Amino acid sequence: MDFKDYYAVLGVSESASPEDIKKAYRKLARKFHPDVSKEENATDKFKDVGEAYEVLKDPEKRAEYDQLRKYGAKGDGSFQPPPGWQSASGFGGGGYTEADASQFSDFFEEIFGGARRGGASSEAGGGFRQSRKMRGEDVHARLALFLEEAFNGCDKQVSFTVHDADEHGRVMPRQKTLKVKIPAGMRDGQHIRLKGQGAPGMGGGEPGDLFIEVELAPHPHFAVEGHDVLLTVPVAPWEAALGATITIPTMAGKVNVKVPQGTTSGRKLRLKGKGFPGKHPGDQIVILQVAMPEQHSPEATKLYEKLAELEKGFNPRNKLHV
Amino acid sequence: MTSKDLIVTVEITDANGSTFTLREVCERGDCHAEFVIKLVSYGIIAPIEEVPEARQWQFDVDALARLQKAMRLQRDLKLNLPGLAVSLDLLDEVQDMRREIARLNQQLRQLMDD
Repeated sequence: MDFKDYYAVLGVSESASPEDIKKAYRKLARKFHPDVSKEENATDKFKDVGEAYEVLKDPEKRAEYDQLRKYGAKGDGSFQPPPGWQSASGFGGGGYTEADASQFSDFFEEIFGGARRGGASSEAGGGFRQSRKMRGEDVHARLALFLEEAFNGCDKQVSFTVHDADEHGRVMPRQKTLKVKIPAGMRDGQHIRLKGQGAPGMGGGEPGDLFIEVELAPHPHFAVEGHDVLLTVPVAPWEAALGATITIPTMAGKVNVKVPQGTTSGRKLRLKGKGFPGKHPGDQIVILQVAMPEQHSPEATKLYEKLAELEKGFNPRNKLHV
Repeated sequence: MTSKDLIVTVEITDANGSTFTLREVCERGDCHAEFVIKLVSYGIIAPIEEVPEARQWQFDVDALARLQKAMRLQRDLKLNLPGLAVSLDLLDEVQDMRREIARLNQQLRQLMDD
């Protein structure tokens, strides 16, 4: 078991005052709150911070921890509590108003015990829940999809945590994995509901539901706006000037589109019904962008010189008054 | 009991999909109606149609998810209602901006590629 340095977790010194500890905790709790933070592992960091504060805010537990810290931290970072170690402060009293003890580390469990054996708040709740019929918790999860997956539909494995009671009536987190059929045409922010796949009910209550919010991963070419799919398409200067039929990709395969004669950069073409499927299918919006070859042959350069002579009257910087 | 290798049929919930009454929202959120009514009065969540009679309110899934987020923030960070309202609004704004930045970055990359 690894030793957990709660002082390091909160970024305070061993001699920090209770006020400093509270301050550090509040700041880090805001920073790593999973609903606020975009940092990787925010959930784990938030749990660590909560666990550290749970111990250091309580003078009795802090004193016990300090003692162990001196004794227990071996050079290699591993930790064994002294033989016969028993916490005096423990966690029997259901002192959990803010922290979910069942989420704390093995290290915490070993030192202060009781979190899972004694009466944590989830248990106090558990006992109460047992006595009457109660609906299971709903679970809200997010699922990132590639655009192709969202557009065509796919089968996805979804993992999430539910809290339910074991045979002793203790409320424990449990990892649940489901294979879910994602229907075609899901858009960013849309929810799907899986009835009865949340936490099990207690005392014969119905199970909760699982809600999955779809999140679209950015695509290298296509962008999505509502039901519409946007694509920037480069065209050659002569295609833009003369008009042309070009082949472009859509989410549902290649199509030919007509570039109108005299197209300028930024011109939009709307391909009806080529956006997201659904009751009101979206469109694909093509944004044309004039692209130049990186090099020209001497012949082409001559032609450009001729063009420059013929189109002398055109001032592309007219709007800049120069 | 694991339910792996099970393909579940799903239900898409959108604006005209499933809605929840105040009672259902409280049951699902494990909270009191007074709390939900307060959240509505602070504009933190909103019923689909704002009718004066709370018993006739209907909420969508977004409101349900937002209620749970509000409860987590309140529990973990000890926010009061005005604080919750500001935080959730700002979090929404941040999320919208992140999306917008991702979209613009992508467009920019396409223009640079040309």
